Amino acid sequence: MKYLLIPILFLFCCTEAYTQSFYTEDGTAIFHSEVPLHTFSGQSDYLTGKINLENGIVDFYIDLTTLETGISKRDRDMKETLETDKYPFAEFYGEMTTPFDPDSTKPQNVTVKGTFKIHGVEKETTYSGTLQKVPEGLKLEANWILRLEDYDIVPPSLLFVKVDQEQKIEINALLSPVEN
Amino acid sequence: MSIIFLVLLCHSSVFAQMERQRVTTDGPVEDLFLSGSIVGISTATALPARNMNTMVMHNFGLVSGGLNQFFGLDAGAAVRLGIDYGISDRLDIGIGRTGLEDVVDLRTKYVVLEQLKSDKIPVQVALKGNIGIATDTERRFEYSFTERLNYLFSVMVARKFSDKVSLQITPMVSHHNTVVKELPDEQLYNTLFGIGLSGRYKLNLRNALAFEFLPVIGSRNSNTNNHLALSYEIDTGGHVFQLFFMTGRWFTEQHLLARTTNDFMDLDFRFGFNINRFFGL
Repeated sequence: MKYLLIPILFLFCCTEAYTQSFYTEDGTAIFHSEVPLHTFSGQSDYLTGKINLENGIVDFYIDLTTLETGISKRDRDMKETLETDKYPFAEFYGEMTTPFDPDSTKPQNVTVKGTFKIHGVEKETTYSGTLQKVPEGLKLEANWILRLEDYDIVPPSLLFVKVDQEQKIEINALLSPVEN
Repeated sequence: MSIIFLVLLCHSSVFAQMERQRVTTDGPVEDLFLSGSIVGISTATALPARNMNTMVMHNFGLVSGGLNQFFGLDAGAAVRLGIDYGISDRLDIGIGRTGLEDVVDLRTKYVVLEQLKSDKIPVQVALKGNIGIATDTERRFEYSFTERLNYLFSVMVARKFSDKVSLQITPMVSHHNTVVKELPDEQLYNTLFGIGLSGRYKLNLRNALAFEFLPVIGSRNSNTNNHLALSYEIDTGGHVFQLFFMTGRWFTEQHLLARTTNDFMDLDFRFGFNINRFFGL
């Protein structure tokens, strides 16, 4: 009986994980930055993330060198500011603190609490967004304000004009069901 | 015991943080050169699509003029004002006006091959065409429109060898529809050939040393010398400033080939500076 229980338990674990985990590596992250009289945006389509509905774990990261603003010199300045050679990732690891009904196909407001890390600085943070069950998996949308000084990021001056401390961040991702 | 271990194993995989992996994307090398030209010779870099570069290019009188002419700064400046625009990531168009003979030049540059980070394509190759029109009022002659035209075609082959070193070779041919002998025994040619040699050495993220040398190959105009320039480049992000000494007076290659009379080794060079300002539109 003991030997029969082991494969049953293993299958149970795996089946549970298969149906409850969702993954993407081509999500979109966008930031909007402002200097007086001018706004510019940067975008990456390499947002990687995993959401496990079973235990509520949310794990996302992005290679910051993939952010592009449309001007190569500005991209290089941005990478220099973020010190991407030293700190290549922005990442979040935490868990959902609000319930999510996987049987509903309506967008649901969710809140996650965990650690956001960029530029080598970690902060305990809480973010809100919407999560929606769709036929392809899970659709995630979230946005928040990131204050550069909170992460020891010194914004560059563009022709003596300082880039705003507050950066508007948006993420959008469609996560597909996966095995763990 | 083994059951507990198995359960823990399953759950640990569920809870584990993903391994962070860098995105490896191949693509064109960045910062092959800091701007579209070293001083007068164009580089194989193109502006990104919908980007604009406005240029103010100056040089002054000869440094050998000494203190009396404040090392050339008291002499009048030769100025070229120009705008280049990126139609696509590979195609630029531009227009400029030089105060000398009121030459208006139209130019285009097309990047045929882009050097890739992976080295699958080890060099960058670009083609450039330039048509200049002398619009000044010549007191001695009545020039027709076609007699006022001059042309350049060049092939730029460049390679970024490291983060610091980039080199370029630029075979070129120029043609002036009209040449005017000022002296009876002068030898002047409508068509001239040259091979430009350019390079950049980055001192740090923001500063670089650069050079360009343009020997004329084959027949050359009387009393002319090969153009040489040494430049110090400062990249501030949106701007690239170039401070240089150059023997040529012009900022268009067809004129550098045909009209450079000074010799760097005789200390017959002039100070100048270019300002490049980049915009995203």
